[in-house]
Amino acid sequence: MLNLIKYEFIRKYRLVSMILITMLALNLFLLTRGVGGSMLFLVLSPIVLYVFYLADIIKMYSDDLNKKTGYMLFMTPNSGYKIISSKLLAAILEGFALVLIYFIFILINGTYIIISAGNEIDYSQIIKAVDNLLSGSLGFNLGHVLVFLLAALAFLIAFITTVYTAMTIRKSIFSEIKFGGLFSFIIFLLINWVLSFLSSKFYDIITPYYDTVDTISSTGRVSAGGLAMILLPMIAVLIIQAVSLTGISGYLLEKKINL
Amino acid sequence: MNKLSVLKITDLTKRYYNKTALENVSLDFEQGKIYGLLGPNGSGKTTLMKVVAGLHKQTSGSVLINDEMLSYKSKAYVSYMPTENYLYENFKVIDILKYYNTMYEDFRYDYAVNLLNDIDVNSDIKISNLSSGQIGKLKTVIALSRDAQIYMLDEPLNGVDVLSRDTILDLIAKSHSENKIIIISTHLVSEIEKILDTVIFLKEGIVEVFGDAEELRQERQLSVEGIYKEVFRNA
Repeated sequence: MLNLIKYEFIRKYRLVSMILITMLALNLFLLTRGVGGSMLFLVLSPIVLYVFYLADIIKMYSDDLNKKTGYMLFMTPNSGYKIISSKLLAAILEGFALVLIYFIFILINGTYIIISAGNEIDYSQIIKAVDNLLSGSLGFNLGHVLVFLLAALAFLIAFITTVYTAMTIRKSIFSEIKFGGLFSFIIFLLINWVLSFLSSKFYDIITPYYDTVDTISSTGRVSAGGLAMILLPMIAVLIIQAVSLTGISGYLLEKKINL
Repeated sequence: MNKLSVLKITDLTKRYYNKTALENVSLDFEQGKIYGLLGPNGSGKTTLMKVVAGLHKQTSGSVLINDEMLSYKSKAYVSYMPTENYLYENFKVIDILKYYNTMYEDFRYDYAVNLLNDIDVNSDIKISNLSSGQIGKLKTVIALSRDAQIYMLDEPLNGVDVLSRDTILDLIAKSHSENKIIIISTHLVSEIEKILDTVIFLKEGIVEVFGDAEELRQERQLSVEGIYKEVFRNA
């Protein structure tokens, strides 16, 4: 599986490099516009990175399913489960890499903003200030942020697996339907509708038990642990969804695919 | 002496919504032979190869390789060369060889590099910059550089110049051995018939003729190309 993941990145490194070089050039240009330019970049760049990320992970799988270059992957002696799992892991790793790159952009621009204000840079103080800010004025701390990030990661994985399953269903069971992209989108909506229905039934079952969980402190705030308890059912549902959909995609790639 | 039947296809049918590509095809492929899979466009040759290669799933029937049902594991024994250009366009030739070397345990990397000289393809060039003839030759080299049990070459002479066709045919002949099966589909029957042991004529998804090439020549007093024209006249 490592080889499959490795080649996912080898195939896309030129495109990703071009995007990043372009963004770096744009950042440098906006830095010449002063603090305002830097802030504008920090607001716009995550949107650009997110849109690129979604387009890229969908296109990579779509190309393998719909173009002849997909034979390079599907002729290899790898099971459908391994292929879809490697796609998913590569997508997750790419997401982490782009988040890391955004943090680097924050460091660059944050440093510029601080220096522009005539201050000196002390990164430990910055981290402390961020933590104080969150726990002080906003009512939550880095622990809460980590729980949110975990929930966001579970949501992202569930979303990717839903998209991939829709595409796999279209290329296996409905391989002869025209307008494949549109049909994949319709299947995606249907899967989401079914999963929402099943999730709501699940929440109906567990809610009575959760009503008894004491997550709110005497100060009226939710601790990081309490937040984790609140989000746990959603995270569990998303993980079960992701695992199930990956299994379905793997089975279809194994037994039903028609390239 | 009966040779071992490595690839067994039984009652294979492949239907699409508006067409039947293969209908109750039953074939036994023995080790040590070169098979010509012949027929006009749309006769089912490519579909048959893609089912055996695991790229298409049959509607019914079975495919056994080494007495095991077709699965992803079978792809380790089958080296398939599609007729289309399937190579990653932004890869260099040498990158494609490295990819195959990584993905297939039986890929003979040094052998492939040496063969590039025979076919006059520079390993440092991007696939997107190769001509269609060069891509055709490269695909054949890649497929034959695997030490597979079954080679399936779909139109290996397509787009290849006349001089290079002999090189390709020589490569195919060199890959032939007692424990391998080579299946070639082609329209250029006259060029390929000299290396064929057995011929299979597919017409509209049905096996019309399946037999030893030399026996058929003697029986019908025609070359394989002549038999082809006879079978597929008005097809």
